[in-house]
Amino acid sequence: MARTRIVLAGEGGQGVQSVAKILVEAGYEAGKEILYIPNFGVEQRGGVSIAFCQIADEKIGEPRFSKGDIVIMLSDRAIDRCTTYVSENSTVIYDSSVCTKKPVCNAKSIISVEANKIANEQLSARVFNIIVLGVLLSATNVLQLSDIKNAMEKALGKKFDAKPELRELNYKALEMGMGLIEKAGV
Amino acid sequence: MVKKLITQDTRMFLTGNEVIAYAANAAEAEFMYGYPITPQNEIMHTWCKLLPKMEAGFLQTEDEISAGFSTIGGILAGKRAFTATAGPGNVIMQDAQSMAEMMRIPFVCAVMQRGGPSTATVIYAQQETRLTCFGGNGEGFRIVYSTAGHQDLYDYMIKAFNTAWKYRFPTFMLADGYQGKMREPVTLYDPASRGIKMVPTVATLGGANGSRPVNHVRNTFNLEEELMEVLDKYQEEFDRISPEIEEYLEYKADDAEILVIAHGIVARSAMTAIDELRAKGIKAGLFRPITLRPLAVKPLRAAVKRAKQVLFTESANGQLAQMVLEKIYGLTTPYSTLYKMGVGVTGDDIVQKVESMVKEPATV
Repeated sequence: MARTRIVLAGEGGQGVQSVAKILVEAGYEAGKEILYIPNFGVEQRGGVSIAFCQIADEKIGEPRFSKGDIVIMLSDRAIDRCTTYVSENSTVIYDSSVCTKKPVCNAKSIISVEANKIANEQLSARVFNIIVLGVLLSATNVLQLSDIKNAMEKALGKKFDAKPELRELNYKALEMGMGLIEKAGV
Repeated sequence: MVKKLITQDTRMFLTGNEVIAYAANAAEAEFMYGYPITPQNEIMHTWCKLLPKMEAGFLQTEDEISAGFSTIGGILAGKRAFTATAGPGNVIMQDAQSMAEMMRIPFVCAVMQRGGPSTATVIYAQQETRLTCFGGNGEGFRIVYSTAGHQDLYDYMIKAFNTAWKYRFPTFMLADGYQGKMREPVTLYDPASRGIKMVPTVATLGGANGSRPVNHVRNTFNLEEELMEVLDKYQEEFDRISPEIEEYLEYKADDAEILVIAHGIVARSAMTAIDELRAKGIKAGLFRPITLRPLAVKPLRAAVKRAKQVLFTESANGQLAQMVLEKIYGLTTPYSTLYKMGVGVTGDDIVQKVESMVKEPATV
């Protein structure tokens, strides 16, 4: 049975859960079985925020899993907390422009991206998480770009209509994120 | 009569908390009383968002003590009212829940368990199992359904109203923060389309100006014997109706050598694990009690007796196991445990544990 298990972890306020919501909404609309658990503490900001997402072709049993196929870490604390979800079959992706260290784990591959740096220098700090969404889309490779765009429209359509340039900015962020993984050759 | 929002089968992608609000509407609930506590807030939020369309009511009280008693007040006056809570909120609502036991109030409450004791985590646990079944100063005259996902949340929230209004014992839907916050597909439906007839709502107390006859509902007694007389009757009734209420699910349990006993969402992880174990040639199976109060004792004993070993697994330190062990007294099947207090149990966790039990069988 094809099932992709994703752990997406960062600091509260980085937009981890927003990205996860768009991803799973896209999966649901594409006819996949989905199970998404947001996991966070009591803080409005700060603290580690983790999204456990599963995208599958058949009905999903366990809500929580031990090891992820894709584990994305967007802060030092996320690395500390989420190394436990890495197995030798996992693809680990971390943001080296946020993290001050490299994840130390036995993974299939460990890829560094600089989503935060690209967002700040080339686009806007606000689309950092959308770059991550692009990274995720390419790394998982189970959904189409159009699925994600439709889900983004559902989540952000009103904002896009008020400011059409935001749509372009978000699409650009998404494509740049995808490009980061394609460059890494996953 | 409230307006029903779901008139035909509707496939949706929702959080569990949203599902519960829709289910309450499908069950013809008219009023929710509540106080915010994570991870059940979105039941209230969704209920309030739907209010204008449903023509129903909501009152946010000052705390869970008040939410519990307000729910009782609404029901006494003839409203189909319900509440929801979690964690410390569930703790301080016990007084009202006990009153619902004593006064035989059709009190419906969704419990979305979070970590404990005290504030602990806002995320998930199965640590309110004992509290929900036996909390308060009483004997646990309560019906408790433990759910394992969104379809269950919809089905059993509807059922909880019918059970409560039919038998007049407080009825709980015991879920957890994962189920409340997680999103998965679910099919919402009109209960009538499944042949489910909703038990009608009737006022408990007498009406103004003699519109309904006076009804004296007691929760205070002068003499010890007076109290016991009432409670003996309740116990007799609880035992008598139990076979009609008991529910359980067995998964590959017929020929299981290692029987996993788990409830709620952990039972779902067990099913994933059992498929994996069976593929490796290990005969594992599941017994999942759906009603924790009352437990389906006969099939439970039969399943335990058939097995060579039992594994109790919970996101708590054996709260279900304690309840089960009492009911399987006298059986000698050895058991082992996998308890993760306030933490999710994964399929892998169970696979590894069962494999270790194959190598080194339990002796207890």
